[in-house]
Amino acid sequence: MSTFRMNRRQLLKNLAIGTGAVALAACAPAAAPAGNTGSAASSSGSAAPAAEPVTITLWSSYSGKNGEAEAALVQKFNESQSDVVVDYQFQGNYEETAQKVTAALQARTAPDVSLLSDVWWFKFYLNQALVPLDDLLAAANVDVNDYQDSLINEGVRQGKHYWIPFARSTPLFYYNKEKWAEVGLPDRGPETWDEFMEWAPELVRMEGDEMKVSAFAHPDGASYIAWLFQGVTWQFGGKYSDPDFTMHMTDENTIRAGQFYYDTVHTWKWAVPSKDLATDFINGLTAAAMMSTGSMGGIKANAQFEFGTAFLPKKDYFGCCTGGAGLAILSTTPPEKRDAAMAYIAFASSPEQTVFWAQNTGYMPVRKSALESAEMQAYFEEFPQFKTAVEQLPLTRPQDAARVWVPNGDQIIGKGLERITVQSEDVATVFGELQDTLTREAEPIVTQLRAIEG
Amino acid sequence: MVRSRRRITATERNEYLLFLLLVGPNLLLFGVFTYWPLFYNGYLSFVRWDMLAPIKIWVGLDNYRYLFTSPEFGTILWNTVVFTVSAVLLTCGIGLLMALLLNQPLRGRVAVRGIVFSPVMLSGAAIGIVWIYIFDPRYGLLDFFIRGVGLRSPNWLLDTSWAMTAVIIVHVWKTLGYAVVIYLAGLQAIPRELYEAALVDGAGTWARFRHVTLPGLSPVTFFLVITTVLAAFQSFDIIKVMTDGGPVNATTTLIYYLYEEGFVGFNAGRAGVAAVVLFLAMFVFTLVQMRYSERSVHYA
Amino acid sequence: MAQVDFVDELTPGPAVTQAPVQTSWVGHRQSWLSLALGYLGLAACVALIGLPLYWMVIGAFKTTAEVYRMPPTWLPATPTWTNFVKAWESAPFGRYYINTLIVTLFGSGFEIFFAITSAYAFVFLRFPKREWLFLLLLAALMVPNQVTILPNYLTIARLGWINTYQGIVVPGASVAYGTFLLRQYYKTLPLDILDAARVDGAGHLRVLWSIVLPLARPAIISFGLLSVVAKWNDFLWPLIVTNTKDMRVLSIGIYWLMVEEGTIDWGVVMAGTLFVVLPVALIFLYAQRYIVEGIAAGAVKG
Repeated sequence: MSTFRMNRRQLLKNLAIGTGAVALAACAPAAAPAGNTGSAASSSGSAAPAAEPVTITLWSSYSGKNGEAEAALVQKFNESQSDVVVDYQFQGNYEETAQKVTAALQARTAPDVSLLSDVWWFKFYLNQALVPLDDLLAAANVDVNDYQDSLINEGVRQGKHYWIPFARSTPLFYYNKEKWAEVGLPDRGPETWDEFMEWAPELVRMEGDEMKVSAFAHPDGASYIAWLFQGVTWQFGGKYSDPDFTMHMTDENTIRAGQFYYDTVHTWKWAVPSKDLATDFINGLTAAAMMSTGSMGGIKANAQFEFGTAFLPKKDYFGCCTGGAGLAILSTTPPEKRDAAMAYIAFASSPEQTVFWAQNTGYMPVRKSALESAEMQAYFEEFPQFKTAVEQLPLTRPQDAARVWVPNGDQIIGKGLERITVQSEDVATVFGELQDTLTREAEPIVTQLRAIEG
Repeated sequence: MVRSRRRITATERNEYLLFLLLVGPNLLLFGVFTYWPLFYNGYLSFVRWDMLAPIKIWVGLDNYRYLFTSPEFGTILWNTVVFTVSAVLLTCGIGLLMALLLNQPLRGRVAVRGIVFSPVMLSGAAIGIVWIYIFDPRYGLLDFFIRGVGLRSPNWLLDTSWAMTAVIIVHVWKTLGYAVVIYLAGLQAIPRELYEAALVDGAGTWARFRHVTLPGLSPVTFFLVITTVLAAFQSFDIIKVMTDGGPVNATTTLIYYLYEEGFVGFNAGRAGVAAVVLFLAMFVFTLVQMRYSERSVHYA
Repeated sequence: MAQVDFVDELTPGPAVTQAPVQTSWVGHRQSWLSLALGYLGLAACVALIGLPLYWMVIGAFKTTAEVYRMPPTWLPATPTWTNFVKAWESAPFGRYYINTLIVTLFGSGFEIFFAITSAYAFVFLRFPKREWLFLLLLAALMVPNQVTILPNYLTIARLGWINTYQGIVVPGASVAYGTFLLRQYYKTLPLDILDAARVDGAGHLRVLWSIVLPLARPAIISFGLLSVVAKWNDFLWPLIVTNTKDMRVLSIGIYWLMVEEGTIDWGVVMAGTLFVVLPVALIFLYAQRYIVEGIAAGAVKG
């Protein structure tokens, strides 16, 4: 109940900021005629007798602050019109949601719309479990060109849209301004890793030989270290793979990037592996970290200190990838429900709602027109940390196939990186094994892809 | 009763029918939900299937070859052995000590027995969660005690060399009460006269323990070893909640691997192989145990 | 007669009571030193097992700031109920309770019923190769649930039972341990009473219902409680086979509470674990004797 109230409060607050009078009007509950003892639904007094609303199921992955925002979004949608009712079901994190969808497809109990993360949607596409959305998009009058090009294009295969950007993110450099000030660092992120290497030792706080505060921290495989490391490989001039699944884990520059991660923890000892990066940052246990823009909402709500955000540091190049999740319609959805499913996707990624969503979570506004909107501009003023994230977006690019298209590629690479950060194993050896594993795991995908796309 | 092959009497037939009626549903459910899956896993171990594709591709022994040549699988088998052996030894060893203690005429021992036994009853998921809190190296209860003796808490669940210790501790903590109760029952079942006879023979405390108590406990110990091995083999909730098999693969046991391949990675084939390996391990264990039980357990 | 003479000084219950016998291997007369050591040992047991439980309980009453305080406080400085309120509101725990109750009642109901009937058949009814069938049943104890989940998921999916109560309950409805336990117990029943009943013309079902059942009551209660606790705590299968909020059970609810709250709010998470643990703890407090006997009965041959 309290989450409901909270959503409601946020919702009203955001509406007040100016999501628009239209949405507000749509949101207002239909006035029930006084003294009517009949059912509220049949007596709401709408001009045309509304048909039975279509109920569609939405599976999604957000918890905490982001989960509240998503529930509020669904509620807004349900209150904005009377044709479609969205039944929202939390299914655990990205991985668990995808597992549930996989299992549910087998049982034919799949949802109509599911949130699928960057590393999962392709697998469902490959198994022809996703509906091509172009006709539905057209029927719903969605202006596809208004989506950020780089984001929407990631969900296109053979000229068709399958995966609509919703909660898209990029890695971002977060730093604790208090700790920065304590050691007299300028109020900005490091331009380069070399610069950070000079700063980092000062940020470390030791108590005896115990590290109380680290300068930087790495997440574990389950918290997507392979995603955050993706940009770093590019910064060093390396990469995980080519789009045609040729692996590059053993390239000199990729190994250099791995060695950099190794050294931060084991040689220079200013970074630590962390089980819960955002919590450690919020509790002041690490002075800085690369984290998703999608963590911003939670950090903003919970951190007791001023924090800053910056572009990822450069090495030889700048490198930063996109990430996060989008929405898709499952092919088990009956044709008569697909329009309703699209109605929700269109709503959730509409210019108005993407502003609401971005402001509450830190995920990217997925629509170009949203960026220019007055409320977004006002928000940038009020909260410049978020502006950094949006400014970095044009510099990002999609991730390498090894992580997002190879089945479990993310977890394979993530476990490998854990062996380096946690277990201090030799980088070249680990990456050599990853090269073999990824190559082998990619094989069936190559054949499957050829069968589908020719 | 002499069984004749020729004639089955009407009463016998009725008994057979009633037997089927009473046992049938139970056995049928086992057939469908326990034995059929075993066969099906066997089949899956020869295919490649991600649960999405409409067809399963027959790959022969590929999955077996893959697993038995991957260093990962070696680690997992080793983890399983380490977890099982430590869990069984610690549970039975500490359980015996506690049972001996609780068998003394001390006030409040029933209440203590209740406390010691209670974790057995509680949800593994909930217990795992409580222990994450206790293991926290910065504000956890355990850290407080470790600091108290001048040491520093390792980063239990994030350190590959400590995570296994941590899950073993929790597993033992949770199953200990079971061993205590079983050993107490075993101690009560030892005839008192044996002790009296030993006293008459002038046997000391140690001698009585060595020559009366221990042999008297052997059937119970035997039972306990079997059940704790099974429990350790099947320990899942705690690992799932506390470490998810990590860090890296430090706490991935066979059963966790099976779950991970089957229901997380959707490599039905590899999960099938793991299931076959697990089944064979259980089978061999059962055979050894039957052989052993015929030979050398002293039944009081 | 129960197989185990478990002496309970504190709770003289309806089960078998005997003169307290101390079968100590140390001997009869205890020196003050061994007594002191004994009580020290008891204290150690309590600390070792009880402290984590105590920690869970007081954690639920601590404010967020206090949870992170080092050195830790042994009593909440400012005890608060807000953690419970927050936990309850963060997920539909009311619904979880109802679901867990339904799943537990039906799951255990089936198990208890099957155990009673199967054990009777294995003890009192003739059937060719009866012992082989019994072994087949027992062998199921060797098959861990995790081995069967994938095929069982496919089976349940084909039946269209995903996300239903029957989908949660039916795969776990059959029972091997209970059958074994009750079979042991039935074997110790005084045969002359059964024979007398049969001479009076009572059929098998009648004998089962009006003679065996009342006589085996303690064993049935013991096993029933164990079954209830196991079903209540079941985690993996309900996690896999359900996919909407209104079908989930408590153990999943608490797992997700932790995932959602993360390590930010341990007080709330501890309050949530108490939701799961408390009913079982209460059952245990009231029926400790039966549960412990049920466990012990499996070990000591009857």
